[in-house]
Amino acid sequence: MKRYLARRMAVMPFLLFGIASIVFLVSRMTPGDPLVTIVGERNLNNPEIVAAAKAQWGLDQSMPQQYASFMKNLVKGNLGTSFSTRQPVMHDLWERLPATLELTIYALLGGVTVGIVLGVLAARHRNKFIDHVSRFFALIGSSLPAFWAGLLLLYVFYARLGWLPGPGRIDPRGLAPNKVTGFYTVDSLLQGDFGLFKDSVMHLILPATVLGWGVVGIVSRLVRASLLDEFSMDYVRVARAMGLRERTVVNTHALRNALLPTITIVAFTFAFLLTGAVLTETVFSWPGVGSYAVNASRTLDYPAIIGVTLLGGTAFLLTNLISDIAYAFADPRIRLS
Amino acid sequence: MRLNTRNGITRQVMAAGLAGVLLLGACSSSGSSGSSGGSTDKALLIARSMDINSLDPSRSYCDTCQIFMTSVYETLIGLDKDNTTLVPRLASKWESNPAQTEFTFTLDPKAKFADGSAVTSADVKFSWERLHGLQASSSYLVSTIKSIDTPDAQTVKVTLSQANSAFLAQVNASYLGIMNSKVAIANGATIDPATDKAEPWFLANSAGSGQFTLASYQSGAELRLKRNDSYWGKKANFPEVVMKQTADAVTQRQQLEAGSVDIAMQISNDAAKGMNGKDVVVSQVPSYNFVYLAISPGAKGGEKLTPKVREAIRLGLDYKGLIDATVGGAGQAQASPIPNGFAGTAGLAAPAQDLAKAKSLLAEEGVTSLTLDATFPSLNVYGVDFTTAMQKVQTDLKAIGITLELNPVEISVWADKIGKDGIPVTMLYFAPDHTDSSQYVQYFGLLEASQWQTWARTDVSQSETDTLSKAFAEQDATKRAEIYNQLAKAMISDSVIIPVVNPNLFLAARSDIKGLYYSACCNLNISDLSRG
Repeated sequence: MKRYLARRMAVMPFLLFGIASIVFLVSRMTPGDPLVTIVGERNLNNPEIVAAAKAQWGLDQSMPQQYASFMKNLVKGNLGTSFSTRQPVMHDLWERLPATLELTIYALLGGVTVGIVLGVLAARHRNKFIDHVSRFFALIGSSLPAFWAGLLLLYVFYARLGWLPGPGRIDPRGLAPNKVTGFYTVDSLLQGDFGLFKDSVMHLILPATVLGWGVVGIVSRLVRASLLDEFSMDYVRVARAMGLRERTVVNTHALRNALLPTITIVAFTFAFLLTGAVLTETVFSWPGVGSYAVNASRTLDYPAIIGVTLLGGTAFLLTNLISDIAYAFADPRIRLS
Repeated sequence: MRLNTRNGITRQVMAAGLAGVLLLGACSSSGSSGSSGGSTDKALLIARSMDINSLDPSRSYCDTCQIFMTSVYETLIGLDKDNTTLVPRLASKWESNPAQTEFTFTLDPKAKFADGSAVTSADVKFSWERLHGLQASSSYLVSTIKSIDTPDAQTVKVTLSQANSAFLAQVNASYLGIMNSKVAIANGATIDPATDKAEPWFLANSAGSGQFTLASYQSGAELRLKRNDSYWGKKANFPEVVMKQTADAVTQRQQLEAGSVDIAMQISNDAAKGMNGKDVVVSQVPSYNFVYLAISPGAKGGEKLTPKVREAIRLGLDYKGLIDATVGGAGQAQASPIPNGFAGTAGLAAPAQDLAKAKSLLAEEGVTSLTLDATFPSLNVYGVDFTTAMQKVQTDLKAIGITLELNPVEISVWADKIGKDGIPVTMLYFAPDHTDSSQYVQYFGLLEASQWQTWARTDVSQSETDTLSKAFAEQDATKRAEIYNQLAKAMISDSVIIPVVNPNLFLAARSDIKGLYYSACCNLNISDLSRG
């Protein structure tokens, strides 16, 4: 296991360098002029301002020179400075990642839990009312555009009913907790501010629901299908024939095997949401990585584009590794070598 | 190697997950949102889609930056609520020579920076020389400065390389705010872009003399200002100002109606419908912002865009229909690239559609059908969706035999294309940096190397160049307005820039917020706001 992990970890930097190189080249070959972000469209024909901006951001260098400079900095852990925010990209990601992670983790926890429960119920009551309700719920979650669902939920629960707070991570008048983990729900507790803790949890409910609903759709259908496969297996027949209670047959035996594919889906969904929760973050004014990524791509902010891509690549590689390990834990028949 | 399933670990993971879910569930049922322990009850809260590019006073250049700069870095001269009258700010008085090449400012001896040190002529000299030296976006505002002399701590004498009667208006631009030079230099500021290292410091700190100081800034989340309690004039009415990133108008409305914010800054016409109530006040005022169609005869594919064809395009547009389609009627038609209300626009006839004349002009040029590339940036600015506007333009021009091939793209792609090949027909927007009409002539006029002379690839108009020089040399405001009127007519005749809508601005605030108005220099002047 240690050798397996060491090998996977050793390969990772090379993969990331490959990703960085490809993204560097693709971003430079994309038609577009990043100077419009730096100097504004009004100054694009001002030669002094354009020359100063190119010199400041290294855009006056040839592509090989820019690539060499980029790689040299990358080795030192420096991803460069964002054209848009004027902050080091590492700083930007470090500031935004906790917001996205917090939202993603709560969305996944809720989505996976509800998805498994619905999937089990749907499988146990195949083609009955509860199965149809589950399918309908899953279909809605999978097909509703996040921005639409977000706006709808905000309208109903914030603007009309006033049950839940509006956009943002905390009340606009509130001050963020002192940063320890960057998770407001955790940091507020660490500083003993239960009012702020409650506020941050309340602010998570709507965006986590929007994100998690899509996860519910995927997980519930997957669990249902897997469970139905397991129900047809001999070991389940044997268990039932031995007179075990149906709950024991499902929860103790069949479900464990049925959850294996779910691990992969959850892992990839997690990695995807780290950079892909764009619409939800936009609708809920959530200052995360997704909105940063969109802004970077719209403005051709080269350093930010590469930074986000590397973050996404790292997340996919790590979650892939974790899901492989989790497979081995979940199914003792799987060996990692 | 085989991995054994460790039930203990699995249980721990499951327990942790369950605890998280329970925690969320327990708190989900606990009712409405609470405020944090660190709440600032009397802070002014503003919902805004922020476009901040930098908080460094020599580099910032955006609508939100105007609000920030006005609040934190004071200019020598301020602008009264009438958006016309220049009033003392850091400078208690000023004068110029008849040739409009020398300007002398006398600083108010009471003026102090937030750290208590006096605002001196050396600070003005450093601030403007740095603005010029860094060659950032707003540097053009000081491009005519030849030298800055500081005979004493209270006197600033500016010599220009050419006559510039607009200089006082430019001094009023928020980007010419004054920074504490000692503090700035101590934190890496220089006037040389090769050695200047202060921008990161300015993103977390400020060094101005305004009513507020920068408390914190989180890109994409919030900008927080705190009251400068040692302000040398009348102190701000709010202990804190928090600008919250809120991307869309609908959410801004919801936040305002729910009382989560005090002001919503980008309410669109659609979002504003049915919004007035006992807790919220919405009014609409004419703005100086506008969206325009730009015709480039020198662009690739624009060879047939002769003056008559361009005029035909101008006459072919249904301006009222455009205003209705884009902002639901909440806007004005604008005759020239100088917006309504600026010097030189009095008496200009509003643009009107004349299909017969448009067709006649096209016939004179032998144009029976014409297909043009219309690549435009996919933007929604001042409530105007460019795609909607361009679709309406396309429909209007179809009636006179001109076909537009619409191609919405990201602005970076648009910038690349217009820089390389030019674009025959496109759309863009403009908001003023200061209160003088010269900025419009310098940007839209067919002057040597002006922005649109370059993009449109047209011949230079010597007449416009000479007329602008006359305006710069003219001291008398009335006569200057007459000159700008000639320039406005000349730019209408050029038909390179055709304003399509001058959208109204919606001022939406909680009913207890007083003093809200639209400022031409500063967008939103927080110093005039109070809670009543």
